[in-house]
Amino acid sequence: MDGLRAAFAAETFKLWKKKKIIAAAILSILAVLVGQLAVAVVNASLGLRVVGSGEFPLIVLSFCGYTVFPLFVIFAAADMFNGEVSAHTMKLALTRPVSRFGVFSAKVGALAVFIAANLLFVLALSLAAGIAFNPSSLGFGGLIRVAVAYAVTFFPVFVFGLLVVLLANLVRGGLAVFFLSILLFVGFHAAGLFFSRFESFLVTSMFDWYRHWIAESVNLAKILRQALILLGCGMMLFAAGFWLFDRKEL
Amino acid sequence: MGAAIEIQGLTKLYRNGRGIRDLSLAVEEGEIFGFLGPNGAGKTTVMKIMTGLIRPDAGDVKLFGASVLGDFARAIRPVGCLIETAEAYEYLTAYENLKLAARFYPDVDDRRIDECLELVGLLKYKREKPRRFSLGMKQRLGIAQAILSRPRLLILDEPLNGLDVEGMIEMRRLIRRLKEEEGTTFFISSHLIHDVELTCTRIGVVYEGRLLGTDTTENILANHSSLEHYFVSEVERGGRA
Repeated sequence: MDGLRAAFAAETFKLWKKKKIIAAAILSILAVLVGQLAVAVVNASLGLRVVGSGEFPLIVLSFCGYTVFPLFVIFAAADMFNGEVSAHTMKLALTRPVSRFGVFSAKVGALAVFIAANLLFVLALSLAAGIAFNPSSLGFGGLIRVAVAYAVTFFPVFVFGLLVVLLANLVRGGLAVFFLSILLFVGFHAAGLFFSRFESFLVTSMFDWYRHWIAESVNLAKILRQALILLGCGMMLFAAGFWLFDRKEL
Repeated sequence: MGAAIEIQGLTKLYRNGRGIRDLSLAVEEGEIFGFLGPNGAGKTTVMKIMTGLIRPDAGDVKLFGASVLGDFARAIRPVGCLIETAEAYEYLTAYENLKLAARFYPDVDDRRIDECLELVGLLKYKREKPRRFSLGMKQRLGIAQAILSRPRLLILDEPLNGLDVEGMIEMRRLIRRLKEEEGTTFFISSHLIHDVELTCTRIGVVYEGRLLGTDTTENILANHSSLEHYFVSEVERGGRA
């Protein structure tokens, strides 16, 4: 357990020290700023309040959920696995007193922290922007609604991250993993459109499952079904990713 | 003193037919064991299996009684290693690289990190990132990482690579000092016969994936005109067998 804790601390520290964190922050800020600018232009030209401070973070979430979040998950996961193998630094992690399962779990744990931090950052930023432009329309209930939407979005993004981790252990090059992940992301969306009966089994179709959580009437059965599908996918992807990682020869 | 390393029937064959075959060996605590062989003989393969970087097709390695295959974390805890090239996280400073490694060893503090950097002559560069380091400096940082936890066993793959003459002399001095003061066991691979002769107390010759023989440096030099002569005679004997 000490080894796992140390490995997790080390992986999180490495992630923190990389430039990708700064890039993720800058891109997140840009996404929020562009969104706010678009809303302000629409509001001004129509003379209406199209989006209130409570809705703005949700609009940002629906945009970032399909762009910024998956993109940086791909970057981070590919870097953690393919990047370290190609830089020959993976052997530093693997020759410490911790099992391969510990190293793999620590990397996945650090990826989870990265996703959570990215979501939290965008939440804070979009809330601040929403409140700054429309200070009166966000109540406590609205705040909870927004927080729940961001919190539950963590799960599909994390499961998508596990899919990228699997690819990163399957394919040698980081660039190949990047393009393959994007292809899969787009492919899953296209498959969801053409085969709508199977859509709920595709991880990417759940990126907007937060809508079920914050709907006027909450459909618990649907939420439970999707949560179980996410859990199942997550467990299978974690196990398959570890199976490949455990067999990796450096 | 017990065995620091027990290698039993180790086999690992690559697709190209190279690798190691049924290699067995024991290294006692306190020895400086030199693993001598030409490039491609299988030295690094053995060391990679010892440090869990690759799995053998057959056989096992025990480090201080713990199996690398069965209980890796326990087996590797008293071990420091430097395999192939010395690598470091280039986006971290020398200090941060060692600090990262120190997280795995509760008794390693900042003073120990400074001590290791001092030992390898990198203390004044502790806030610099290794991307600006020369090959020799990277090698020194790799050595600092390997000795950081005060390991009972050091597995060093070609530790003199990239070092200048002064660096080589310092490295030999460091190895002898660690053996004498801390009783550290060494398992060193090299293709440089002269360096092995100067550093090691016992020598094993590996050739085309097979261990041809082991003997103490003292015996070898008493029975042969030089280590080079011993190496050639072992290879010839192995070739005939």
